[in-house]
Amino acid sequence: MCSTFAVSDRRLSSHVIEFPYTRSLGPVYSEFLTGLRDQRIIGIRNSDGSVLCPPTEWDPATGEALALDFVDVGPAGTVTTWAWVVHPTRKHPLSHPFAFALIQLDGAATALLHAVDAGSAEKMATGMRVTPRWRDERIGFITDLEAFVPLPLLKGESK
Amino acid sequence: MTASLPDEVVDPNAPVTNMDYFMALEFEEIICPVVQRYADGLLAGKIIGHRCPQCELVYVPPRGYCPIDVLETTEADEVELADRGVVTNYTVVTPVQYYGQEETEPFAKVSVLLDEPGGMLSLQDVLEVPVAEVRIGMRLEAVWVPEAERTVAEIGNRWGGAGGCILGWRATGEPDVSPDQLNDRVF
Repeated sequence: MCSTFAVSDRRLSSHVIEFPYTRSLGPVYSEFLTGLRDQRIIGIRNSDGSVLCPPTEWDPATGEALALDFVDVGPAGTVTTWAWVVHPTRKHPLSHPFAFALIQLDGAATALLHAVDAGSAEKMATGMRVTPRWRDERIGFITDLEAFVPLPLLKGESK
Repeated sequence: MTASLPDEVVDPNAPVTNMDYFMALEFEEIICPVVQRYADGLLAGKIIGHRCPQCELVYVPPRGYCPIDVLETTEADEVELADRGVVTNYTVVTPVQYYGQEETEPFAKVSVLLDEPGGMLSLQDVLEVPVAEVRIGMRLEAVWVPEAERTVAEIGNRWGGAGGCILGWRATGEPDVSPDQLNDRVF
């Protein structure tokens, strides 16, 4: 409850409540993030033979546990859908405008959510080809992939 | 984005088995008028409280109400408080080195009952007094941050304090107050 008498201006007080949290990764995410640290993108063989990336511990259709059959995918991939972020927040992967996109890496049947550093929304298109930009210092975290960047079209390829 | 606990040694080639990250809640709030006036007072070197018109207890930081009498208090109930007082209660904290802990040595947080017209500031820092010498009844005076360096950025609607304006409290050297005189005045 606040009194209603007047004050000259409104003032804000900012607070951050923050604490570190650790979770164990299990056999599949551990492999995936170890791969990122080593500059590899790793998927897992699904029961139907397709490759899931990001890898999961379970067949998404049946819920059955998957054998730990890991497969390298990418590094390039195709944007299957995207959304342009005009005003990045403190927690976003890039401090300038970028796209969040689902990226189907070459060899995978599913798509990975990540950032595409395209410069402007006009450069974004579903179906565009992208390739990772890795951080120099990698620690086994999803942000070891700093972002994906548009891949120039190869000769003979059409948009 | 990731957190490393102090002294944690990471083998750069070992498999990554854990993920460290921050749980974070970031928010802004509009400071309510009562607290704004309290903060403005601190910037000017004054501690402002509210005295309940019914029970006459002094609340600092002011809240805009007396929770005992369930009465609204307003600017009309403002009182300028003393920046001297007496320790009514204290806690010695032995810092555990959790993430974000900046203290390394035991330190005391004291409740200071201000001289007339009264009011209680809790969780205050004591300056220049060894922890072992902090005691109930000790007379203290505020050490203000130089006016140009004062800040009220950390004063919110719920945790007021005086940090950013009052550096801490130092012993005045006056004789101690007998704890008997502090009965019913601890909070």
